[in-house]
Amino acid sequence: MATNDQINIIGKGITIRGSLTGAGDLVVEGRVEGQVNLKNHLTIESSGIVEADIRADDLTINGTASGNIDAITKVSINQSAKVNGDIKATRVVIEDGAVFNGSIEMDVKLPDDI
Amino acid sequence: MANTIIGSSIVIDGEISGDEDLVIQGTVKGKISLKESLFVEASGVVEADIEVQNVEIGGRVTGNIAATDKVELKADCRVVGDVRAPRILIADGASFKGNVDMDVKER
Repeated sequence: MATNDQINIIGKGITIRGSLTGAGDLVVEGRVEGQVNLKNHLTIESSGIVEADIRADDLTINGTASGNIDAITKVSINQSAKVNGDIKATRVVIEDGAVFNGSIEMDVKLPDDI
Repeated sequence: MANTIIGSSIVIDGEISGDEDLVIQGTVKGKISLKESLFVEASGVVEADIEVQNVEIGGRVTGNIAATDKVELKADCRVVGDVRAPRILIADGASFKGNVDMDVKER
């Protein structure tokens, strides 16, 4: 059970203020304020509110996130999501219906002549 | 049962509050206040003051514990801190250091 790919859940009725670090996948249905630093996948469910700077491997947002997001592989902002902040990731997906305010920096190599 | 699980690979430094059950298998430092039950499992390490309704401890807890209903220290837990609750159970094999206060006014 104590493997790195276990699933951690922050339920609807729970608020965390401070920093959250770890490996393993994390699902947020409640509220997290502060900092999130995760080695694996972070999912913010539609009831979830994250007001934090987030670092994770990849990220799925269905709920509300404000803060800067730094993902190693991918950020998916789904239809029901509201996101405020700057995103840094190799791949960023924003679905139709999602609300996003902020800047996006994809790690793209631009041609030299620009 | 939509409950919250802080897995063994997770470290939280700060404050946790809420109104649903919480299971801790990882590490929490700071403060925990819940209106429901807290379960600190064998792998769980808590360095925090705890205010809950019920708490069941199988892991390590350092900090003061105040429960409105019950505190249960299971075998193999290690608890350092003061405990205040109307009902306190300590199982054989548990290790505990601190004060116990059951003198809670009737509700």
